[in-house]
Amino acid sequence: MAADNPIDPIHQFEISKIADIQLGGIDISFTNSSLFMVFALAATMALFVIGLSKKSIIPNRMQMLSELSYNFIANMLRDQVGDQGRAYFPFIFSLFMFIFFCNFIGLIPYTFTVTSHLIVTFAFAGLIFIAVTIIGFVKNGLGYLRIFYPSGIPIFLAPLIVPIEIISYLSKPISLSVRLCANMLAGHSILKIFAGFIVMLGFLGFAPLVFLVVLYALETLIAALQAYIFTILTCIYLNDALHPDH
Amino acid sequence: MKILLKAFFLLTAPINFAYAAEGQKSAGLPQMDIATFPSQLFWLVITFSLLYLFMWKFVIPRLGATIEERRDKISNDINDADNLNTEATDILKKYDEQMASASQESNEIITNSKKAMLDHLETLKKENEEKVNSLISESQAKIKAQEEKSKIEIRNATLDTVKAIVSRYIENIPSDEEINKKLN
Repeated sequence: MAADNPIDPIHQFEISKIADIQLGGIDISFTNSSLFMVFALAATMALFVIGLSKKSIIPNRMQMLSELSYNFIANMLRDQVGDQGRAYFPFIFSLFMFIFFCNFIGLIPYTFTVTSHLIVTFAFAGLIFIAVTIIGFVKNGLGYLRIFYPSGIPIFLAPLIVPIEIISYLSKPISLSVRLCANMLAGHSILKIFAGFIVMLGFLGFAPLVFLVVLYALETLIAALQAYIFTILTCIYLNDALHPDH
Repeated sequence: MKILLKAFFLLTAPINFAYAAEGQKSAGLPQMDIATFPSQLFWLVITFSLLYLFMWKFVIPRLGATIEERRDKISNDINDADNLNTEATDILKKYDEQMASASQESNEIITNSKKAMLDHLETLKKENEEKVNSLISESQAKIKAQEEKSKIEIRNATLDTVKAIVSRYIENIPSDEEINKKLN
């Protein structure tokens, strides 16, 4: 299909098998998606293995980069959650680096964007939602239910407020996953469409080319921004679970 | 889940439309192909677990240790610098004190020697004055004596002259007493 239409904007999201693996009748083949997950893992590992190979008091560039990312997420977690958030730091840090590298590797032409698939972002969001709910009930007992009834609301508004709060709580994983996935999907599709225009317009293609350069810069920003947003929202949900009174 | 899927289709409708307009045999978005979900989830769990373990066991302890070490080193260095600074301030204080006492001492020495010098000058002056005075009185005495002597000599010379003049004119030469009587 790709050969028939090289500018099909959806083609880049197609999943193709690399190695066919079946486990108990379930298809868990190693696909291009899996390959780019491994790439994101490898990129993260490379960054930190190189960055930490020579730990020195005065850091070199790679060490600086790894320490900057560490401090960035550590500060985000401390600002949003406080000291109780320390236990969740490995998860938050891994989450950010994984999404960040998935988004960025996806910007390279002919690659695959893992985070453009809703199932992947929904897996993260669902895991976060379930974990946050469990943490909330473990840390606060039934007192966690207070998040559905914010303090200072008159009692007669409760029938209105409580359902709204419950719906907004339940929609958190959906908004979280759809935001990331839709951003990646839309951005990459538009990039591909405009890249196609360049080919179709021949020498007039410089106009979409200029636009593509600008759009690519914007998509680079979005790739970093969406990783950041996903992570900071996770921190905010975690904070809600640890401090439901606020 | 149904709401979710609906929302997703609505969100991606423009893309689906563009896709359909390309004249493809649209099989829907690859994102909606449920057959690929187990594989994606399986590999996601594997890669993300590996990443989590890597972060948890390797990156965070090492990075944390390095950052902690640096913070310790910096605070140690700051402490050292503070200590040295206090030491230097102490030394400066001591130096100032010593300078002050030394200048006081030298002032004393200057005052004392000035005084001694003035005293010495005073005594010298006195001595000289005395000497000069005695010299003056001595000279005055000498002058007086000389005067007396000269007076006598003049008188004697006058006497002799008178005698000589008188002897020319008269035979009778008056005696010295008579001349003296006349002269006076």
